[in-house]
Amino acid sequence: MRALTILSVVVAIASAFLLYGVSYDTHRIEARVHAQERAAEKARSDIAVLKAERAHLARPERIEPLARALGLAPVTEKQLGRAGFGLATGSASH
Amino acid sequence: MHAIQKNAASCPPPSSRRRASTYTLRLRALIVTLGVGLAFAAVAAQLVRLSLRGEGAIAVTVSEPVAQSFARPDIVDRNGRLLATDVEMPSLFADPALVLDRDEVAEKLLAVFPDLDTQELARALSDRSRRFVWIRRGLPPKIAQQVHDLGLPGLAFRSELRRAYPAGRLAGHVLGQVNIDNKGVAGIERHIDEAIGVEAVHGATLSGAAPVRLALDMGVEHGLEEELAGAMRRFEARGAAGLIMDVATGEVLAAASLPGVDPSRAGEALDESRLDKVAGGTFELGSIWKAVTIAMALEGGKTTLDTIVDVTAPLAAGRFTITDLHPPGRPLTVAEVFLHSSNVGAGYLALGAGAERLRAFLAKLGLTEPMRTELGPVAAPQLPERLERAEQITIAYGHGIAVAPVQFAAAAAALINGGELVRPTFLKRQPDTTVERVRVVSGETSAKINELLRRNVTDPAGTGRRAEVAGYRVGGKTGTAEIPGRGGYRKTAVISSFLAAFPMDAPKYLVLVSLFEPKGTNESRGETRAGTNAAPTAARVIERIAPLLGVLPGGSVAAAGE
Repeated sequence: MRALTILSVVVAIASAFLLYGVSYDTHRIEARVHAQERAAEKARSDIAVLKAERAHLARPERIEPLARALGLAPVTEKQLGRAGFGLATGSASH
Repeated sequence: MHAIQKNAASCPPPSSRRRASTYTLRLRALIVTLGVGLAFAAVAAQLVRLSLRGEGAIAVTVSEPVAQSFARPDIVDRNGRLLATDVEMPSLFADPALVLDRDEVAEKLLAVFPDLDTQELARALSDRSRRFVWIRRGLPPKIAQQVHDLGLPGLAFRSELRRAYPAGRLAGHVLGQVNIDNKGVAGIERHIDEAIGVEAVHGATLSGAAPVRLALDMGVEHGLEEELAGAMRRFEARGAAGLIMDVATGEVLAAASLPGVDPSRAGEALDESRLDKVAGGTFELGSIWKAVTIAMALEGGKTTLDTIVDVTAPLAAGRFTITDLHPPGRPLTVAEVFLHSSNVGAGYLALGAGAERLRAFLAKLGLTEPMRTELGPVAAPQLPERLERAEQITIAYGHGIAVAPVQFAAAAAALINGGELVRPTFLKRQPDTTVERVRVVSGETSAKINELLRRNVTDPAGTGRRAEVAGYRVGGKTGTAEIPGRGGYRKTAVISSFLAAFPMDAPKYLVLVSLFEPKGTNESRGETRAGTNAAPTAARVIERIAPLLGVLPGGSVAAAGE
């Protein structure tokens, strides 16, 4: 009877330690998960900002003067005429 | 224990005493068991309640200061280029209970926000019962850092979602607006709230929803806006409107109304001169209506393009006599009525059809009933209750009836695309969906209208000569409408419009350009007629957008690049 009591006390203490350890680990893992979720959230937010900034830099209003400064211009009928001709001969040779 | 002993001592017979004590003991044990059981039941019930309802009770206590906001899907153009998105931005708030020195807070904040209303702030901060006062929402990170560096107690930041429009003013009228809580209040933004759905969020959780894809093409939209702005400068016009539509699907590839609005500045949309002229206002569009009149005449069956109309006979309508700007002095064919833009000829054609057929035809083209697009209700058409002789004549050349340009464009697209009316849409149509089409005129009539539109540009006598763009087979009709003013039409103030389609061998795109109150400048040789200002503007627009839309000069329509 006494042996059983001592055994159960030992088991109880052991399981308490075990449970405490598991709980501690869980907390640690949870903290890590939270940290990574926050990092992901931050990354998502950064992506949204960068996407908006890229779109802002690529807005036609800004690109047009830059392109014109480089000597580019809207495609004219003459250029397309030649391209169309080239395409036609290309398909004819097939 | 004490009670049991006392009880035992007071009861003389030992046998009954033992029985009584067992009885009491059992009773007490039962009471204790029940009590403990109840306590456990209460704990269990609370657990169940919490697990079912979450932290509802806690959320209620803090929801007062935390403003609810909305996470919105992105808006992209038909090729996936970004037009609107949510970004996280810090918003500054104060907790009056924690603020130590109100005047210091107001003074220091004034250095960062020169336009801050310090009296208003001091009043808000003096109310100690409030724990939450917004000061500025949606701050740029740099400004937020400056406020942070002031080190004032009681001030704090909260991340919020703010709507950003990376393309600036581009397509401002189509995009619409959101309010301070990121809720759509105009344009496509409102449509997203009503039909597509936004997520109510606390704080700054970005929406995971798929982007909303517009029918708009950013390059085409920019080309249209630039050319309209250029035309406004050259012809000193007060405003301009333009619309480019795919005639087969009703997709609006570009819609512009100048002066434009910046979607991130809510106040601008309230300015009357910045009204959306494409869908938000109705106008008498003038002679471009002759396309409708002649289509109606051709649908009657008896009239052909070669039918003679005697435009030399005077046409009286009430007190007025309708005349042409340049009377030809000889009877014209129906085709010539269109090419010379003869008001008298169009008037006779409308009279020939009669009030009933005229109204029925306008109704069939959807020009009499209010229309709706994703941008909300289009300004309702204004036409006379009764179509008397005078009304029939004036409607024939686009006066006395006012519709929004987008509504007219939808009807015109039906005349051009083979005769089927399609509802205009600002959202991209999925390739697999079937478009609802209603036949309104025969294919034959549509072909004849297209022939007239093309001839009006190629014919040396046509009014649309200056709309020709080498290689792109443009067709179109001019319209110069006098703007009604106090006590009659103002001769000098006009809306000059050009209704164009291209390429005319198989019309695919409709272009509608309207200039509001253009002046006779050197560029238009002192004239204000549409042939001298709207037609060349349409030509410049088409020259610029045709390559973007994959229309090859002299050839067929290539697949538009995605």
